[in-house]
Amino acid sequence: MEQILFRHNRPGRVVTFEEYRSEGGFSALKKGLTTMSPDGVQQTVIDSGMRGRGGAGFPTGKKWSFVPRNLPGPRWLICNCDEMEPGTYKDRILLESNPYSLVEGIILACYAIGVRHAFIFIRRGYEQAAANLKNAVAEAHGAGFLGENIFGSGFSCDVDIHLSAGRYICGEETALMNSLEGRRANPRAKPPFPAIKGLWGGPTVVNNVESLANVPYIIAHGAEWFKGTAATAEASGMKLFCVSGHVANPGCFELPLGTRLGEIIYGPCGGMRHGSSFKACLPGGASTPYLTAEQLDVAMDFDPVAKEGSRLGTGGIVVFDQHTCMVGATLNLVRFYARESCGWCTPCREGLPYVVHLLEKIEAGQGREEHIQILKEHVQRLNYAFCALAPGAMGPVDGLLRHFEDEVREHITKSRCPFGGS
Amino acid sequence: MPKLIIDDITVEVAEGVTVLEAAQSVDIPIPHFCWHPALGKAGACRVCAVKLLDGPIKGIQMSCMLPAQDGMVVSTVDPEAVAMRQQVIEWLMINHPHDCPVCDEGGQCQLQDYTIACGHGLRRYDGKKRTHLNQDLGPNIEHEMNRCIQCYRCARFYQEFAGGTDFGVMGSASRVYFGRFEDGELQSPFSGNLVDICPTGVFTDKTARFRARYWDFDMAPSICPECSLGCNTTPVARYRELLKISARHNDAVNGWFICDRGRFADKKVNSFDRPRVPLVNGSSSGWGDAVDAVAKKAAEFAPGSIAVVASSRLANEGAALLPDLARALSGAKLCFFSNEVICRASITAASQITPHMAASLDDVASADCIVIYECDLRQEAPMMLLAVRQAWRKGAPVFLVGKGAPLEQAAAVSVEAVDLDIIVEAPIGIFDRPVIIFSTMRSSAAEIKNLMAAEAKFAPLFDGPNGMGMAKLAAANSTISLESAVKSGLIKGIITIECVIADELRGEIPIIAALDWQMNSSVKNAGVFLPTTAWVEMNGTFVNNEGRAQQFKKVMAPGIPVSATLESGHPPRIHSLDVPGGEPKPAWEVITEIMKRL
Repeated sequence: MEQILFRHNRPGRVVTFEEYRSEGGFSALKKGLTTMSPDGVQQTVIDSGMRGRGGAGFPTGKKWSFVPRNLPGPRWLICNCDEMEPGTYKDRILLESNPYSLVEGIILACYAIGVRHAFIFIRRGYEQAAANLKNAVAEAHGAGFLGENIFGSGFSCDVDIHLSAGRYICGEETALMNSLEGRRANPRAKPPFPAIKGLWGGPTVVNNVESLANVPYIIAHGAEWFKGTAATAEASGMKLFCVSGHVANPGCFELPLGTRLGEIIYGPCGGMRHGSSFKACLPGGASTPYLTAEQLDVAMDFDPVAKEGSRLGTGGIVVFDQHTCMVGATLNLVRFYARESCGWCTPCREGLPYVVHLLEKIEAGQGREEHIQILKEHVQRLNYAFCALAPGAMGPVDGLLRHFEDEVREHITKSRCPFGGS
Repeated sequence: MPKLIIDDITVEVAEGVTVLEAAQSVDIPIPHFCWHPALGKAGACRVCAVKLLDGPIKGIQMSCMLPAQDGMVVSTVDPEAVAMRQQVIEWLMINHPHDCPVCDEGGQCQLQDYTIACGHGLRRYDGKKRTHLNQDLGPNIEHEMNRCIQCYRCARFYQEFAGGTDFGVMGSASRVYFGRFEDGELQSPFSGNLVDICPTGVFTDKTARFRARYWDFDMAPSICPECSLGCNTTPVARYRELLKISARHNDAVNGWFICDRGRFADKKVNSFDRPRVPLVNGSSSGWGDAVDAVAKKAAEFAPGSIAVVASSRLANEGAALLPDLARALSGAKLCFFSNEVICRASITAASQITPHMAASLDDVASADCIVIYECDLRQEAPMMLLAVRQAWRKGAPVFLVGKGAPLEQAAAVSVEAVDLDIIVEAPIGIFDRPVIIFSTMRSSAAEIKNLMAAEAKFAPLFDGPNGMGMAKLAAANSTISLESAVKSGLIKGIITIECVIADELRGEIPIIAALDWQMNSSVKNAGVFLPTTAWVEMNGTFVNNEGRAQQFKKVMAPGIPVSATLESGHPPRIHSLDVPGGEPKPAWEVITEIMKRL
């Protein structure tokens, strides 16, 4: 199968600058800067139909187009590499093998939006990826792909790499901006949206690593080619799926967007582990509701997964087998979110620990029927939190109550976990 | 002008006004914790949920975050909105102590009110409560972090509004903590507002904890006597004792806040050594005998040899009678100021300023350029400093002119000010709404005249709560400073009205009579002493620095605090119809009594 982002992968080591260039690297940059207008680059990305790979799936080119063109003062591009969604590690795998396509994509995006200075906001633990990026930025500088007057186009650009202080909420784009400004990482109210008023009050675009890394290939080969790499007519492009859990061969695979869930699990993942059968999975990171065995045919693309009552999210698929207690699994996930809440709004700060408390009771066999009702109320009311963290945290709880209510009730009626958990 | 419907009432509000404020404008109360009129929206507590039934936005929304738009149909009573608000209260009460009866905030607690209003009577959550360690925040403010509902008001006020740097929010998730890095007295000169702004009992006034419940308070609208700004306050008394003072809202003057000096000032009203009975030659006396003694003594002096001296502490009602008193004392010299330079400066400022030129605190807060001329606002008018910070936050440059305007005052509210040597360096002319702040205690009449030639608004500062009133009266009547009266050599006796005279100024001149409510050298040296009421014990008027006459109401009747009379045990053993120590009368009444005898 054709690979886009992974085509430069060298097993066990990072691709070198020379290798990347010899395989056509930075030719898209030259093409964009010397033969295309900024609007042309943006239009190509819009035409490609690429939807953001960070989780929300907002079309990348459209996001760029929201930046007001004629506003005085600086505007900013932030590459969100604070990949902390449990079950998601695609950006790390990409950057640990090839940091160059991201750097090239960032420069192209800056050109399209008119940004002089971009930031890569990278997760604390991603030290190897950060080191790779630092080298890549330095090498790009050395080759004249960054800095003043790139390719004599009159366009100048610089990239700074910022190591995050290490909180999940820093991946929320407005909290990220607060964090980058040196403030507490509390999300900001929207509107105003970052494209209008973001970092230091300037128009700001925040894009995921994978989205930006795809941009050079879109520019090099065109929008139609990119669309055609997907598995369905509705989808566009390839997607990094990182699979973990009870499959035989967990890992990160670049597959056409729209590939069926079952094809991923029984294809590159080699099916379930010996003795395991598929029970459920998180399709796109820990904040997405579960998909069950009945939904293995779903095309892994934004809209089809949403139609099944979940979200494609980051493409971080976590697979559970028949021995998994879904109450215990959900409890584990919500504990993470309760801990990672920034503490700004009441639903998230107080509601999530409440949910943890209830799930703990149910898992310990002390649950009562009314706890199911309280959990359902929380699934609904945590939607009214300040940012998307709490609604996301309730994704698995929502899935638990929709698909596994009987299993929850079994905990209550038997006064113990039927899977022997405590 | 968006027009919307809230609970079947059509409301039209200005652009940018939130649904919460729009509802308030037609007396529909929507619960809120994090939203505060002075601090704006935060969207943190989520208790202001309403449901939008129709219009551009639908569903459950936070009314504090939502600008009113045309065509909105808002319901505050929709079952879904009510359920959400009840849920927020349940969340907040998960960790809040259930000990209102032993909490000093009980009875005046927003959380208590909303919890009861939301009908949250039964606890569903059966886990443990979160606990925190409290900090010692100094002698004025008690810290009880377990009561916190994380509305972020305190941190937003302290850091953003008041520019404090030693208090803020720490931790994350359910361990969010509001405090200092380590125990210690809060450094901001506005720290006391945490007591008012906290919607529950995390910060309480340590100087009056557990002294009385809200419904037992004697209280009335009053004016702060600590400086000339005339901040609006609500003093609180119980059992003849002034307990504490809190801020009273007035947008044109102090907004929602007051300074720590005004709030925590030494409560001289309750003072044990406060003179409370009339004295003639040091011995207690009845009112009639004492006033007779004043008239008799004054008659011994030749015409024009008595000086009647008052200070800016005196309310306008008393001050307005003094010209008549001076005439009745056969041409006594009338002195509203002791110091000659301050006297001239005050009269100059008061007579030059017009209502159009005078800058209120609100004008200062919305100025686009601030000049602080030769004065230290920390000492002379702390709330002016807070207003300066608000202007600075909106982009106004702040210029400190002269050596008498230290940079430290700007640092106290984290304002980056420009230090200038002389006033002409300040580019006042290029601004639309500049304000020049100066003090009549630091600048001469000539300097003030020079300053006031500028195209700007002015905020003069005076030496007391009725400074402008005294200066206006001084200008309108024939008065001189005590200093020049003494220099003339004609003065042989002095009558003081709520005024302390420096010993070196008075020399050997005897004090015939002193009217006052504080113990001081004038009272000690007076032939006759007549006790007057303090500002909280009377109705009266102060004219503040901008010329705004503000009334203050009687909070409590004068009398020795019950706690001080109980030394011999409870119940009191001496029975009487009179209030112990209830003799003091308002100065204007005492002055009238004297005039009747002359």
